[in-house]
Amino acid sequence: MRVPDDYCRYLAMHEKSSDRLIGRAEGLKALDLELSADPEAVRLKKMVYAVMGEVHRLKAFIRLNPLGGRVLWGYMKPRHRIGEHISEHFARRNPGTIIVLGNGTESWTAFFWQGRILRDRGAGLNETLDRLRTALKISEKEKKADPEGIDIDDLDANGLDVDDVWQTYYDSQYCPERMNLQAFRQRMPSRDQQSAGLRLVQKKKEMTLADFADQGSGKTL
Amino acid sequence: MATLEKIAHLAADCVFDSLGPKINVNLDKLFSLGEGTRHDVCASTYSPRDSPLPGICHAFTQDGRCVSLFKTLYTNHCSHQCNYCINATNCSRRVQTFSYTPDELARITLSLYRSNYIEGLFLSSGAGRDEELIMERMIETLERLRKQYNFPGYIHLKILPGSSQAHIQQAMELADRVSINLEASSAAHMNEICATKSYENDILQRQRYIRDLRTDDNLPAGQTTQLVVGAAGESDQEIFKRILYEYKDIGVKRAYYSAFSPQKGTAFESKKGQPLWREHRLYQMDWLYRVYHFPAGDIKMAFDEDGFLSDSDPKLAIARELLDSPVDPNVAPYRELIRVPGIGPRSAKRIAALRKTKKIRAKRELEALGVVIKRAAPFLKINGWRDTTLEMWSG
Repeated sequence: MRVPDDYCRYLAMHEKSSDRLIGRAEGLKALDLELSADPEAVRLKKMVYAVMGEVHRLKAFIRLNPLGGRVLWGYMKPRHRIGEHISEHFARRNPGTIIVLGNGTESWTAFFWQGRILRDRGAGLNETLDRLRTALKISEKEKKADPEGIDIDDLDANGLDVDDVWQTYYDSQYCPERMNLQAFRQRMPSRDQQSAGLRLVQKKKEMTLADFADQGSGKTL
Repeated sequence: MATLEKIAHLAADCVFDSLGPKINVNLDKLFSLGEGTRHDVCASTYSPRDSPLPGICHAFTQDGRCVSLFKTLYTNHCSHQCNYCINATNCSRRVQTFSYTPDELARITLSLYRSNYIEGLFLSSGAGRDEELIMERMIETLERLRKQYNFPGYIHLKILPGSSQAHIQQAMELADRVSINLEASSAAHMNEICATKSYENDILQRQRYIRDLRTDDNLPAGQTTQLVVGAAGESDQEIFKRILYEYKDIGVKRAYYSAFSPQKGTAFESKKGQPLWREHRLYQMDWLYRVYHFPAGDIKMAFDEDGFLSDSDPKLAIARELLDSPVDPNVAPYRELIRVPGIGPRSAKRIAALRKTKKIRAKRELEALGVVIKRAAPFLKINGWRDTTLEMWSG
């Protein structure tokens, strides 16, 4: 990992960040932080890396669920203050689609269209999705949007959930002769999986009840 | 108007996503065609486009390998006779044959991409009855993704051996990366593992087509290749010789190594599998050449008399041969610093940057720069003091 020039941005997102800390960091260049063995600089560098690591893994581990055709939502409970940053990443990846990420107590909404980004921070995920559902119905009625579009409540259409498709594909990729649980755990830290509401298990369909017992809240809101 | 309502209002103006929340696909087909690619390496999804695509690993399997692409065969029907492959015509274990349609495959890819399971598509295939026909279908899949669904993600397409120049050109306009698997290190070894492919004509010539058709505007992530290691009894030195040709003459971005593992029903079923460490040591050797820029002559010092690497870090073997005296991090040039085990290109650059302003006096300072001090210490001299141990010289 390399300390980026705008590392103060990441430092500000750290759960233990403060104005005093940012003030101290502002005198240091990224290269100073990277090269110094001074304990204070090493501490700051570790904080920057901790945030960058969580950002990187949550961008990878969060799964998005469609709500109608205009919204993608996902569970996220990060340790650091990265909700806005992550939701903006997904909005840019899906222009014209509303992204809502959150958990039981807070949520982050982002929307990217024609070079502009709009953001909103709200209460719990369920509440935000309810508000959005109502607002979209009103807007679509006003604009008489695409009549061929899928109704926002029409989620019981025939076909498979994308998660079933994924699980089948994921299981097909496993080479038992290469089993390496240490590498798996190292690359998929359970702490970050939990923050993204994910728990990856090979052959999920063959799991026993005991396997599910410690699975935690998963995608429940 | 609250921001959330404003967002909803603006979104109602956008082009409606015509792909619904559900998709239809036969799960047995999905599994079988996915399984057909499980030995292919997913690798990085970084693509140096005008706005570069990031490399993101969305998951890892319990074998520790990354799953960042939807890696699949278009069809598992094949007319080749590769002795290691479960889809070969000479494989006695008959698996049900399946094929996608271009639209089906495009829709699955898009759904998985939108839900953030993958960064893109890695499409390979059996040759079917006619490889030209399968190439056409694969290109049609890519066209649908890019042109009909405006798919912005990463695409890696396997070029089938013997594909026409016209198909290769079309594929290069649509994909981020293409590759043809070498599988063997020479024509003679290819004859041992597959009776139906011409090494020179079906593989090397197609790689040259890709090299010659490449421009600044197509194929941003270039071409790569992959070898099955140990199926034909080849030595590591023979593999290295082939890889040097691939990097220098063909211009591949990367080579991948897959240790041979015998599959049920194949002609090579009873052949001994290769240890995974062999694959790991070949990657380390490859890294020394491609990333550390060690001269080929230095790397050859890591091979034994029979041309094989041992199960130890090849960099350590080379250091023992070439580093006669301890390296002083305060004065050693970059090319000497990276010869020290435990010092990589990044930590060597950091050492060079730090010593311009400050003398390095302690191992602790090197550790802060990312040096793995336990491995590096026996080769270093800091402050005139040296940490030599007898183990350094032992096997």
